[in-house]
Amino acid sequence: MELTRREALRSVVSKCVPVATAALCLPATEAAEAPSQPKAPVGMLYDTTLCIGCKACVVACAEANELPRDVSLDGLHQAPEDLNAFTKNIIKLYKPHEQSPDSFVKQQCMHCIDPACVAACPFKALWKDDGNGIVAWEPSRCIGCRYCEIACAYHVPKFEWDMINPKIVKCEFCEPRLNKGYQPACTSVCPTHAVIFGPRQDLLSQAKERIEQAPDKYFENRVYGEHEAGGTQVLYLSHVPFEDIGLPDVGPAPIPAALKWQKRIYKFLALPLLMYAMLASIMKKNWIDHRREMREEEERTGLRPQL
Amino acid sequence: MKHIIVRWQRGVPVYAVPKITPFFVFLCAMGALSIVLSAYREWAGLGPTTGMNDIYAWGIWKTFNTMVLTGLGSGGFSVGIAAWIFYRRDLHSVMRTAVLTSFVAYFSGLVALGVDVGRPWNFYQVLMPWTWNAHSPLLEVAVCMPLYACVPLFLENTPPLIERWYYTWPWFRPFIMKHLVPAIRSTYPYVIALAYALPMMHQSSLGALMLLGGSRVHVLWQSPFLPLLYVWAAGFLGYACVIGVLMVACLSWKRPMDMRILGVLARIMSWLILTWNVFRFVDILARGQIGAAFAFDRFSLLFWIETLLLVCPSVFMLWGGNRRIPSRLFQADLLIAVGGMLYRYDPTSFAFTARPGAVYFPSAIEALIAAGYVCLAIAAFVLAAKYLPILPAPVSAWHGMEHYARVVHPDWKLETHDFSHQNRPHFAN
Repeated sequence: MELTRREALRSVVSKCVPVATAALCLPATEAAEAPSQPKAPVGMLYDTTLCIGCKACVVACAEANELPRDVSLDGLHQAPEDLNAFTKNIIKLYKPHEQSPDSFVKQQCMHCIDPACVAACPFKALWKDDGNGIVAWEPSRCIGCRYCEIACAYHVPKFEWDMINPKIVKCEFCEPRLNKGYQPACTSVCPTHAVIFGPRQDLLSQAKERIEQAPDKYFENRVYGEHEAGGTQVLYLSHVPFEDIGLPDVGPAPIPAALKWQKRIYKFLALPLLMYAMLASIMKKNWIDHRREMREEEERTGLRPQL
Repeated sequence: MKHIIVRWQRGVPVYAVPKITPFFVFLCAMGALSIVLSAYREWAGLGPTTGMNDIYAWGIWKTFNTMVLTGLGSGGFSVGIAAWIFYRRDLHSVMRTAVLTSFVAYFSGLVALGVDVGRPWNFYQVLMPWTWNAHSPLLEVAVCMPLYACVPLFLENTPPLIERWYYTWPWFRPFIMKHLVPAIRSTYPYVIALAYALPMMHQSSLGALMLLGGSRVHVLWQSPFLPLLYVWAAGFLGYACVIGVLMVACLSWKRPMDMRILGVLARIMSWLILTWNVFRFVDILARGQIGAAFAFDRFSLLFWIETLLLVCPSVFMLWGGNRRIPSRLFQADLLIAVGGMLYRYDPTSFAFTARPGAVYFPSAIEALIAAGYVCLAIAAFVLAAKYLPILPAPVSAWHGMEHYARVVHPDWKLETHDFSHQNRPHFAN
């Protein structure tokens, strides 16, 4: 017996929906979806109590990365107001309220363990090294969509807005210097060792040691970057609230975890293909009916049917 | 007054009106201006020409021209699903209008996207799957949206074109009948299925883009269900656009309006919106953020503007009497279109606090380019409606055009009321 359209629709949907539900829920375990950790992540540890705000690191960074001097403030001093297309590293003074103690803070790329910019980038122009964990930018792949700037919770990637061939500018951990056996420019010049360089694990234990030696010196007795957004390779110790020095409260989950369901839906393109198969099978039946009805209409009106 | 009941039966070109009108010239001038300004933008860079900055890295070209207007241009997808998948046969008469609005909206959005990207010369990688970051929502959009516009949407728009060739190029008829018609006949269901699968993917991915915005997108909008809400909004926006375009076209070209079909569209749209709003409220309640809706800050105000713009006209249109009166239907439709567009715009813009205190306002050049590409889309629609049998009309309009063509284009061979050759081949059988 010929199926009615409703029955056909119901049979297709009743086959496809359980398959789709199974595909979504069964194979995915949280552990399998977790990002791979870099093998030997390098890191930086910055301590607000040690920084004297000399900005030697800002100048050293610009020199090492061959960035033009940003003298936009007064035409004389290299005093950028924020990270920008000429500035991959900056020292800021934060004094948010009248009563609050002031603090310097260094800003550069946090080199997240699971970076939002890398998850966002459509063509892998931003990529994270498996070994040292550095997040770097590859010009030959970047289409200049600036999704990295939307995705980064720390406002790190910057765009050369005034260029005909614009680039994404961000701290890349002075990788050429590391390869030659040097430290990053900023840590190598810091006179008070407010920012130091080393393997992330060592720096983390060193930071915890400092907290142990001076309890209640540091805000909440914790290291910013240990767990924030799944962990970052740049770590902060601060005597003022992290929010006050511009380190956002991003929670412990990596930002790309927000795409968990997207990843499941698009895994192997299985569900989109299933959806397509479902639509096509319904359409095949409806198309036959439609052609019959068009024939009938032509006989009735004598006019060529339209699709 | 006696009511004449109009039934839309087939697509008929808008005939006996001038092709070049002052409005059309204005649209083309705006389009030309935007092309010149786009060339200047390519030469000068994005900084001097737009209001975008490192904090608000996305401007209206992405957030409005692409993310909002392709939602508005989802008629081919959303009306099409009702017409073809749920087989609302009466909606087939408006499908040509629906797929054409989609076509012009998608192409204008894609052009705006092309102007927006800073390094377009690297876009060739979209053809090289091994360079893709398959989990990026933007990759999904970048692959899926051009694919949809260039393949299924383009093919859906070919029947009116072929029909025009059939009548105006007699020498082309054998080729049409021998090759094009069988090709369409055998592939159409698969093309149509693709035309619904792809928009489901990229319209939801447009919502997924802002998932990475995290807490910078206000809690009333940021939700794990943002992709679903986005594609759903594209669904009802498509209806709003098709209703609005049909009514404006009928009014401006003095063509009869089939209030029954428009009412069917409006009723489906109302239910899509009401269920969407229920889902949205349940989502907000489940996330425990309903308090934010009553915080009486600018976000909650925005939220209620959206909600009221969508819900009030939808409830209003649940009464068939309101749907049958053109002025009421049109005004309600307009409010819904504004509300839906606002919803699609907010997560990237008004409800997106990139950094407290930072602002973005489009520059004059940016706004002119954005408007210019919209004007080009409208111009393309107007021109197509005058040359191709797009807009639905009663069969009497077809016969009217027949008489007109006999005088103006004696070489055309239009269909006549001739029942003598019943067995000739045609598009369908």
